Amino acid sequence: MQGCARTPARQPLALRRLRRAGVTAFASALLFVPPTLAGEPAPFGARAGLDIAAVSALAWAPDARLVYIENDEALDGQGAAARWGYLFFSPHLDKARAYSVRDGKIAVADTLDMKLETRPLASDWIDSGVALAAAERVGRSFCQQHGGRLSTMFLMRGPFQDGDPDETTWTFVYASANAPSLFVVVDAAQGKVRRTSRG
Amino acid sequence: MRTGFLQRRWFHVLPGGGCAAVLILAALVLAGAAAPEPAPEGTEIKVERVPPVREKLSTLRFLRENRDFIRARLDRLREKPVGGDASAPAIDPRFLAYQGLLAEVRVAQDTVAAVEDARARQHLLESITELGDLEARLGWMERLVVEQRNRLMSLESDFTGDQRTTLMIVVSGYPSDAAVEELAITIADGDTLHVPLSAEQRESLKRGGILEAFHGFVEPREQVVQVTITGNSWPAGDSGFITLGPARDRLTFLKLDLSTIRPARGAASIRATTWLHEGESHSAGG
Repeated sequence: MQGCARTPARQPLALRRLRRAGVTAFASALLFVPPTLAGEPAPFGARAGLDIAAVSALAWAPDARLVYIENDEALDGQGAAARWGYLFFSPHLDKARAYSVRDGKIAVADTLDMKLETRPLASDWIDSGVALAAAERVGRSFCQQHGGRLSTMFLMRGPFQDGDPDETTWTFVYASANAPSLFVVVDAAQGKVRRTSRG
Repeated sequence: MRTGFLQRRWFHVLPGGGCAAVLILAALVLAGAAAPEPAPEGTEIKVERVPPVREKLSTLRFLRENRDFIRARLDRLREKPVGGDASAPAIDPRFLAYQGLLAEVRVAQDTVAAVEDARARQHLLESITELGDLEARLGWMERLVVEQRNRLMSLESDFTGDQRTTLMIVVSGYPSDAAVEELAITIADGDTLHVPLSAEQRESLKRGGILEAFHGFVEPREQVVQVTITGNSWPAGDSGFITLGPARDRLTFLKLDLSTIRPARGAASIRATTWLHEGESHSAGG
């Protein structure tokens, strides 16, 4: 469930009360049900999967450097996903290798057939949840106006920050069937919205 | 998969001992003559005839779908280079200290040789004073042994204490009725490692020797090891598939026992066992 997709338009008071009562009853019935169903991987922030991905990448190439992160499964309202993809580039091998992490384990390891010769990510990037909170200030109104949702967030250095291409940024893609997508670029060090664009 | 780095380390720690591919350990290790603890039994793993079916998951979907656009943006950036840090990284002071350790070893060896000469002449000692001098020298030797032990502990800490995820594949046994000329081993989607078996190696395997086929860093994830047997009696391209999940920051052993294999059953008749190195493991800081 995406963050801005859970913010519907204001409803009449009676309807709101009815819904609140229903939600309360439903929540009571599920009181002892764990938050994630058995066998369903728990969502986590992007930084939580980095460790196992980095260890794997160093086994692949000792000069591997992290260059890109993207959610591999749907995002929730806290910027967590059940699976995250991490891309590493080895200048020595001149290759890029992706690791998809789920449940603290490597679910996919794949050498990409594309070159991504970009500088490594800065190490002090804010986690996906903090970055999403910053982006939602802009993204929420887009979702309300156009019935959109947050489809992708990725961390990268360079291509979407014209003013300072050396800056590591989170980019959020809000998609809608009725309007061009909204891109929100958030500075991954400060957590400030740097740029928005449509396309 | 990267193997050279570990093997070079091996050569430094055991000068002259790492060059031999075949380790004749049967008499020393397996019989327990030198090692106080018996070799671990390990867990038997099934060798499949066909590659196991794995879950197909996509990753980095946005990047793949927009690769041309992102590449174009990156290419545009390359025309405006930004400043970068080109300074050489600092050398680990421990590595610089190894030269000093070697010098100390040489000095200690000279000292030990001199003391050994003195010991050989001990029957000539006639006075209590000379015996006291010998005792002092023996005490000195003891100190040298302690220092040497400390140096070895320092090396052990640097090279084996910082264990990373490592796999060692060893081969044992040899079939009685069908010659094996070569093994080809492919770990996950890495390069194929060809292990030709010389006449001496085959004889060693028959006598209980163990062949180290692979020793290197691997990714700590479930992966498939493909083993292909080549020989006149074996069908071309006959392979067995072993699913293995090397534990993170540990040394995992995989033993391929060839004594049970038969051409009629193919490479799937290899008896494969796995176990973890029992030594204390430390994270490499990853």
